[in-house]
Parts: sequence; C-alpha cells; structure tokens
Amino acid sequence: MSSLALNPAPLPLWVRAVHAASRALGVFSAGMIALSVGVICHMVFVRAVLNQSSIWQTEFVTFCLIGATFLGAPYILLTRGHVNVDVVPLMAAPGLRRVLYIVGMLISLVFCAIFFKAAVPWWHEAWTSGSTTPSIWRVALWIPYLAVPVGMGLLCLQLLADLWLVITRRNHPFGLPPDERL
Amino acid sequence: MSPLAIGLLIFVVTIALLATGMPIAFALGMTALGFMIVFDGWNAIHFVPETVFAGLDDFTLVSLPMFIIMGAAVASSRAGSDLYEALARWLHRVPGSLVISNIGACALFSALTGSSPATCAAIGKMGIPEMRKRGYDADLATGAIAAGGTLGILIPPSITMILYGIASETSIGRLFLAGVIPGLLLTGLFMAWALFLSWKRGTKLVDADRIYSMKEKLELLPKLLPFIVVIVGVIYALYGGIATPSEAAGVGAMLCLVMVIVIYRVWTPTALWHIMRDGLRESGMLMLIIGASILFGYMMSSLLVTQSVAEAIAEMQVNKWVVLGAINAMLLVAGMFLPPAAIILMTTPILMPVILAFGFDPIWFGVILTINMELGLITPPVGLNLFVINGITPDIKLPTILKGSLPFMGCMVLAIVILCIFPELATWLPQTLMG
Amino acid sequence: AVAQTITLKASHQFPGGKGDVRDEMVQMIAREVAAANVGLEIKVFPGSSLVKPKEQWKAMLTGQIDMTSFPLDYAAGFHPQFGATLMPGLVKGHDHAKRINASPFMADIKKIIEDGGVKVLADAWLAGAFGGKDKCIKVPADAAGLKVRSAGSTFAEMWAGAGASIVSIPSNEVYNALQQGVAQGTDTSSGSFVSFRLYEQIKCLTAPGDNALWFMYEPVLIGKKSWDKLNAAQQKALMDASKKAEDYFARESKGLDDKLVDAFKKAGVQVVELSDAEVQMWRDVAAKTSYKNFADKVPGGKELIEKALAVK
Ligand code: NA
Ligand code: NA
Repeated sequence: MSSLALNPAPLPLWVRAVHAASRALGVFSAGMIALSVGVICHMVFVRAVLNQSSIWQTEFVTFCLIGATFLGAPYILLTRGHVNVDVVPLMAAPGLRRVLYIVGMLISLVFCAIFFKAAVPWWHEAWTSGSTTPSIWRVALWIPYLAVPVGMGLLCLQLLADLWLVITRRNHPFGLPPDERL
Repeated sequence: MSPLAIGLLIFVVTIALLATGMPIAFALGMTALGFMIVFDGWNAIHFVPETVFAGLDDFTLVSLPMFIIMGAAVASSRAGSDLYEALARWLHRVPGSLVISNIGACALFSALTGSSPATCAAIGKMGIPEMRKRGYDADLATGAIAAGGTLGILIPPSITMILYGIASETSIGRLFLAGVIPGLLLTGLFMAWALFLSWKRGTKLVDADRIYSMKEKLELLPKLLPFIVVIVGVIYALYGGIATPSEAAGVGAMLCLVMVIVIYRVWTPTALWHIMRDGLRESGMLMLIIGASILFGYMMSSLLVTQSVAEAIAEMQVNKWVVLGAINAMLLVAGMFLPPAAIILMTTPILMPVILAFGFDPIWFGVILTINMELGLITPPVGLNLFVINGITPDIKLPTILKGSLPFMGCMVLAIVILCIFPELATWLPQTLMG
Repeated sequence: AVAQTITLKASHQFPGGKGDVRDEMVQMIAREVAAANVGLEIKVFPGSSLVKPKEQWKAMLTGQIDMTSFPLDYAAGFHPQFGATLMPGLVKGHDHAKRINASPFMADIKKIIEDGGVKVLADAWLAGAFGGKDKCIKVPADAAGLKVRSAGSTFAEMWAGAGASIVSIPSNEVYNALQQGVAQGTDTSSGSFVSFRLYEQIKCLTAPGDNALWFMYEPVLIGKKSWDKLNAAQQKALMDASKKAEDYFARESKGLDDKLVDAFKKAGVQVVELSDAEVQMWRDVAAKTSYKNFADKVPGGKELIEKALAVK
C-alpha cells in the first residue's frame, strides 16, 4: 500500500530550524524546573535553619514553572508529549485518519494563533505600563509575561511543521503506522 | 439560549473536538475560546492570556513538577527492582509471593511519586519480566502492575489530590493524610486477590524449592534504607513544621535526585537530562491542560452554566446516595476517555456545590474521586497505565492485560463501597493528626 | 421607554450567600438596582468564581468584569500609591475611617483611581488584627525572631523592621502554616481571621479595639467604560443603591470586630488590645520602614502619608 511508505526526502531548512528552536527552549525549560528545585530547597533552608525572611522565592518559582509550561510546550509537542484521546483515529481507515489529524491540527493552530494574537498586546501593555506584582519583591510583569507570546508563537510554528510533515507524507498522522488499528 | 442548553452544546463540541485526536489541552482551550467569542464577542479573546496566566500563577501548583521529578528520578535508577526483590525474598513461601511483592513495591514507590504511570513503569520494567520468568500468567502479572501503579495517586503524595485540593479549596495536607488508610486498604485488597488467584490456579513456580538464607534476606534491606530516608524526610518536612506541601515536594525532589546520584550513581549529564526531560514533559503537558481547563472553567462560569447545572442537581429531590452513585458513574465514563487532571479541573467547580449541598465531607469525597480516577487509568480505551504496560511488554496483547486488570477494578469498586459505609477510614487520620 | 436591559458582571472573592458583609454589600446593590426597574441588572459572581482576586482591577479595565469589591492594595502593582490604603497605623478606628474618607488623602487616592479608568461606588474600611501562635504580640519586641505571614507588603516591612522574618505563603495555606509552625504569627482582616478559622491555631489575638493598627480600604468599584454605558436613570439608581450599601457596611463594620472577638473568646483564645503607648511603638517602627520606603519609592508617597497622618 502506498500510504505505508514514508517520503524519505530530507527535511527543509525551516522545519529543521523550528525543531532546533523547540529543542533549545525545551532544554531551557527543563533547566528552569531544575533551578526551581534548588530555589525551593534554598527557601526552606533559609527559613527553617537560618530563621531569615523568604521573600522572592515563591514568586520566582511560580513564574519559572509558568515559563517552563509555555516555553516547553513546543518541545513537548515535538516529542508527542501532549496527551490526546486517540480512540477514533485508531479505529479509522488511513484516509479518514489523515483527515482527522489535519482537522485537529488546524483547530489547534487556530487556538494557538488566537492565543498568540491576544498575548502580544497583553505583553506589550505590561511592558509600557511598567506594572509589577503587588508583593514586596515587585517583579516587573513583562518578564514572566514574555514566556506566553514566545511560547505560543513557537507552538504555532511547531504545529505548522508537524502538519506539513504529515501532508507531505514524511510522517504518519499521530505517529501511528497505518497497520496499527484498533 | 438557556444556560443548561448552552451546557449541553459545550458538552457536544468538547467531545467532537476530543474525538479528532487533537491534544486535550487544545481541544478544551478551543471549546472555551469558541464559546467566549460566540457569546461575548470577538473582544473576549483579550481575556485569554490574563485568565490563563492568573490561573497558573499559584504556588500550590509548583508541587506538581516536584512530585513528578521525585518519581522520574527514582524511576531512572535500579531502585524499583531493588524494592520488590527485597520484598520477594521475605515473602518467598507465600502463594503468589512475587505478585504480592510487586504490589507491595508499587505501594512503597507510590509514597515517592504523585503520578501513576511513573509507578507502573518503575516497578513494571523489572517486575513483569521477572514474574513471567518464574511461571506467573501474563494476565495476572500485567494486571497487578497496572492496578498497583494506580496507587501512585491514592497513597500520598498525589497529583490528583493536589489538583482536587486547588479546585475545591480543601487542604492538600489533609487530603494526603486521608489517602493513607484507603491506600493501604486497596493494597491489601489487591494482594488478597493475587493470593487467591495464585492459590486457585495452583501456579507452579519455577524455583519454588529455592530457599533464601537469612543472610540473603537481610543483605537487600540496606538498599531499602534510602527509600525510607526520603519518605521520612518528606513526611517530616510536611508535618513537622518545616514546609508547606508545595515546599515539601521541592525538598522531596531534591532528596530523590541526591539519592539516585549518590547511591545509584545516576550522574552522567545524559542521565540527568533524561530525568529533567521526563519531568518537563509530564508536568508541562499537565500544566497546559490545567491552563486550558482554567479557560474552560471561566467560560462555563461566565455563561452561567456551572451555576445552573449545580443548582439543577441540588434541586432534584433525590436520595443523597443516588446522587453520589450518579456522580461516580459519570466520573467513571469520563475516566474511560480522559486523564484525571482534565476530569477534576472540569468537574470540580460543578460538583463541589452539589457535594456540599448534600452534606458530604469534601475531604472524603476527594478520596472517592481519586479511587474513581484510578479506575480510569486502567479502563479502555484511554488508560494511561495500560499504555505504559503495553510499552514495557509489547508481546502481551492489550486484551490479556485487560483480563488481568478486571478483578483489580472490582477491588477498587469494593473500596469505594467500603468507604461509603465507613467514611472514617478516610477522615480519621486527618482528623486525629490535624484536628 | 426602557431600551434593552444592560447586564453588569460584578466579581468578588468572598463566599456568596453566606452572610459575608462584603458579599452582602454587592448583593444589596444588585437587589436595589433591580428594584429600581431602570433596565439594569447586576449579576454577582462570588468566591472568585469568574476572576482571581488579584486580577479584578485589570479585568475591570479590559471589560471582562464591570464591578468589583476588593482590597485596593491588590492593585498596587499598577498604581503603587494604593499601598497607602493598607498601611500600618494610618487609620485608627471606624470613626476615624469616616473622617479619612472625607479627607484630602482620600481625594488624592480617588483621583488616581479615576485617572486609572475606574470609579468608586461605595467606600469601605475593614479592620484587622494580629495573631500569635504561641504568645501575644503587643509590642514590636514580641515580633523579634518570629516567623510572620503578612497580608500586605507594607505590613511585611513593618514586621521585618521589628525583627520578624517574613514568610510568603498563599492565604489558603495560612491555617496549615500556623499549625505546622511554618508561620508563628500573622496579620489579616477581621473577616479573614474568622473565615479561615484561625482561632483553632492561634493562642493570642491582638484585636483592633480602640487603638487599631490594621485597616484596609476595600471599596466597591465600577469600570469607567461600564459606567459610561449607563443612562442617567441607571447611573442614579446605581449611585443610590451604592449609598445604601455603604451605610449598611458602615453600620456592620464595627460588628465584624465584635464577631471576631466573640469567635476567638469562645474558642478559648486570649484576646488583648493595644494601649496608646503600644500603638505608638509600632507606628515608630512603621515610620522607619513602611512609611519611609513608601515615601522614597512611590511618587507622591511622602505627601500621601503626611495627609493621612494629618487627619485627626
Ligand atoms: Na503517591
Ligand atoms: Na480510561
């Protein structure tokens, strides 16, 4: 069957660039989570052992985690880490499965694109107004906010790349070989 | 359009989007966004970043990646197999000893992670091949690990309970304590079934006459020590006045990392990257679903659906146990298709007022809900633990795993019934220790 | 003829329909406006069921919600001057709060609110208290070496100035933090002390009494854009309703402190009040920390503090 064979042509530059960017931000996000582990332990130590104030740590760690969520999302998409309900695709014939995949990816793309479109002015507003958190630490909000437009923007590109790879038959839809059926 | 009619439409659209096989986070997000745009106008898109960011801006959520990293770190080492091997040497003469040891190891490992797939993978990777090598049937071996793995979210720490605690505004520390006795009860029920089945089938063990000397029994015990140290360390941090649950999670993650680096020599950059990568993938995936559910919840509340559904249920003049049964049936159906995080975040805002109106204890209900979510982890078509086991043992077909899991599902239903008759099993420990 | 009915969304963080005075204030406005029959409906979303507490200011500006009742200090990240509305020792009691409302200090604050695109419908000041897990907190020396969780950053600065170490934990974890000893002292509003059941965890309460140190401005607000959508009759009905709610709150607010003292005494908690001299000791600490930081960092901060202190 022709749909069994994948197109062996090399990946174009733009797809490789998107993949590289997703991986780079993935490593960065994993680093932020690792840093958070250290900062939490630092906070507990400072408070319980040194009996000093802990002021910046909770906010720092919370923002690191939000940053890792948005900046890491493209990498998680690249490595098929975003869980889905694949009952119907598994039951579907190869042709229908392709259609389901393309429709689902287009809907995902619409969501991420609208999110991105709303996030840019939202970030810019925080940047120009100079607003901060109301805590003692007073972090400028544009810094944690930046993760949202950047992450969502790259997520759009990663969705496009995934979609393009299936349309040009370089990847199977959902990464499922056609003979894998329910 | 009445709020209830809108609610029905939302339900249909969500199912339709999920059915395409698109990521759950985007399906929930797009449903929320679509209804916001249709009913509140295009301008509503500008509420999206603020709503999602503000929802995730919660220090309590930090415990999710921390408890996930605890599990990822330990799962990357030989620690899981050490656990069940030590138990197996002591239980050697008991029928079904190896299955029972594996279930015990799952329960112990559950105290180190908040996630069920992690428990499944860590114990199953060594446990299933070993059980089959020694003559256990494939269905019992895989079913026991699939079910034992679900203990990860009942025995504290638990990601499911953290999410429920946040969504229902109940104390996470109390929820954790409430899960301890039901967790042990369920472990006991699982073991009892394994014992019964092995006895009934008269499973011939390959090395049944092999006798472990006292020295062999004792020599593996020091290997359990690091586990005990980490578990006691986290409990001490949690209930000894050192840290809040979120902070204790961070301490636990650090202790686990130190343990696998120092004791299990997992220290190469690649190995450490794999731990952090697994942690990022699971927690990032969860957090994105949480972000989308926050948007979903906002949309439901804004269109008055949440309030109307809760009122409609509360106004029905029915017996409270009928309501509880209906809620459990609904959760069970949802659990067949959706992972626990998505179910809890979407249903808790609607269920909480109902639970309170009918006079149920929210902590107790959190335990019932968690056991129900455990069931969903091993029911087809979408069962995270089934997929994990299938990944470990590609030669065993899914129906065999399912056949083995079915009696364990029965144990879970039995546990829910027992908890309805004796709610003290859940409420006594938090009441006693926390007042 | 009345055109299409306008529906306003009002959001707040307090429990709905359970007798919370702040919830009742908003519900009262909604009821009165509906009774006025001017084609205006207010839909109340209690318990942060729509927007998280600290996002309500921004949500009002973007039109996500129309009205809110919330601690103005939450918006100090947008207008740092709002920090003066949760500042140690500026408001001394409920009667003093009424004089503060009519003072140049509040005129300045309200100008900033208006320039920020929001209008005040009803004023409300809530008193608060200190709670000690193991001992009474009466003078600054009692706070030395104590781990304290504070409701706002200006109070945190005063605590730190008295030698306490500041613990930052979310409000829903305060109960557990006190129980576990992660925090040994806390300050928050009278209402929160009761609703979070802190009487189960603290040994001694420093009640507001006649010499209060802790007061917070928690007005009912409406976004300018939403206000401008209303016709003259609707605006008048809303203002009349708000006046009633404000008077209702003024009557009830003193009662909140009595309820606080009753609840804590009933639970066997020791209840103390500050003397003139003790309050002055705290104000001296605040002058060197909270007031000074505010004057140094916030534009016009020095003048705001001076104007507030000038209200007799
Ligand atoms: Na667990
Ligand atoms: Na399932």
